[in-house]
Amino acid sequence: MINIENLSQITHFYCDQQSHIILDKEICRSCSHHACVSACPAKCYTLDAETGRLDVVYENCLECGTCNVICDKKAVNWSYPRGGFGVSYRLT
Amino acid sequence: MRKFFDVIIVGAGPAGSIAALKLAKAGLQVALLERGTFPGSKNMFGGLLHNSHILKEIFPDFYRQAPLERYVHKKTLAVMTPESSVNITLETGNFNRIPHNGYTVMRPIFDNWLAEQAVKEGASLICNCTAENLIKQDKKITGVSVKGRDGDLRANLVIAADGVLSLMAEKAGLRREIPLEHMGLGVKLLLGLPEEIINERFGLVRDEGADYAFLGMTGDLQGGGFLYTNIDSLSIGLVVHLGSLKASGKTPHEILNRALQQPQIKKLVKGGVPLEYSAHLVPEGGIKGIPTLFTDGMMVIGDAAGLCYTNGINLEGINLAMTSGSTAADCAIEAVKAKDFSASMLSMYRKKLEVSFVIKDMKTFGNAVKMMHMDRLFRVYPGLACDILEKIYRVDGMPRDKMLKLIRKEATKKVNLKDLLADGIRIKRGLL
Repeated sequence: MINIENLSQITHFYCDQQSHIILDKEICRSCSHHACVSACPAKCYTLDAETGRLDVVYENCLECGTCNVICDKKAVNWSYPRGGFGVSYRLT
Repeated sequence: MRKFFDVIIVGAGPAGSIAALKLAKAGLQVALLERGTFPGSKNMFGGLLHNSHILKEIFPDFYRQAPLERYVHKKTLAVMTPESSVNITLETGNFNRIPHNGYTVMRPIFDNWLAEQAVKEGASLICNCTAENLIKQDKKITGVSVKGRDGDLRANLVIAADGVLSLMAEKAGLRREIPLEHMGLGVKLLLGLPEEIINERFGLVRDEGADYAFLGMTGDLQGGGFLYTNIDSLSIGLVVHLGSLKASGKTPHEILNRALQQPQIKKLVKGGVPLEYSAHLVPEGGIKGIPTLFTDGMMVIGDAAGLCYTNGINLEGINLAMTSGSTAADCAIEAVKAKDFSASMLSMYRKKLEVSFVIKDMKTFGNAVKMMHMDRLFRVYPGLACDILEKIYRVDGMPRDKMLKLIRKEATKKVNLKDLLADGIRIKRGLL
């Protein structure tokens, strides 16, 4: 079993100070499906049911790019982290 | 540091490192850029390095030199439902002889080794280096800029080996944004398990390995699962079609966790300790997903070029990637000799790939993409296969039907004849 909440205990990350994922939250607010929330394999996206606010935790990003491909509103400004930062697999 | 090279290769995966190695060996100044702290640190795949004539050519003693886990001795195709499974296994001594048909490897270890071999030949490996943009001069690509660093790197030729998302190919205008339909999402869990237990459980000795492909492991979603044995760990995971994932609203890690509860799989992975979890996109567009492969001053190789295919039984990418890297290197050497880096010169790269197994196989199974988007292949047929075999074996004091009648009866219980025929035609076009 994978407990995604404890991802950083088994997968290693070098966290950058700056995020490599920038959301256009106005667009996200009006999105009807928020497919990024369920499709992200690292559960980086959360939707606050009360406020309708979408948030992303870039520190746990596996850099697969699923959110970028799946977003049909061009609300995800996604790029690779700066060199040396982000996920760093040891085995896999 | 040197700022001008004959060739800059963006991405030190298998395709990029093979290209770098060949170019350096030919005496060219090569920069091999890697965005991770070391080559392989960003890379993930199911787990099987296919036999490759390129590796054999470059490393005559590959089997003894490379950091391999196990060679594949046993191949199993398992179709399953949440309760049942039907397995077809090939176990043959022919797979025990060199050249082996494939090896399980750990990408952060294997890719790092391969890049080291390129460095030994004289390639300049630059880690912690994320290529951000292409430099163009009179429409010809002449270099790359690096994220968060001043100063560009310049070259006569850029080879984009930057993986499935290939921002380089996109920036060069060689392809549009990748459509959802051309992508699969792979997630994988590496489970630690003692070597003796793996050998016993999977019926292996010494460095024999087992390879499982699972159909019906992704619930209602289009996709499939895999399990590979490493020396003292198991790679288990699945690939789901991105369009299907989006439509389902399901989460990849939950689909994986549910699959781990399937009784057959549960027994196979029992006692495994999670060591690492990883995810990556997989090009699934087939021959139609291949972008334009060259332009003035640039070629695209590996996953960046969409060179990856599955027909449900074969699942190949890494061998296609290395062949494309080798082919692009051959073309780059000729281009440097001729001092001609124009698109018309580089068009020989596409021509050479066309006559190799890379494009030929992708064409042969070009229609398999449609077959792999057939919902019933994942939702209905695995269960049907299990039902038919169960009926054949079940002893219940009732008179038996002959096989074909039994199959027809079971099949039409689940699928109407028209759909059955339509699917049959799709399977025939894709596979047969």
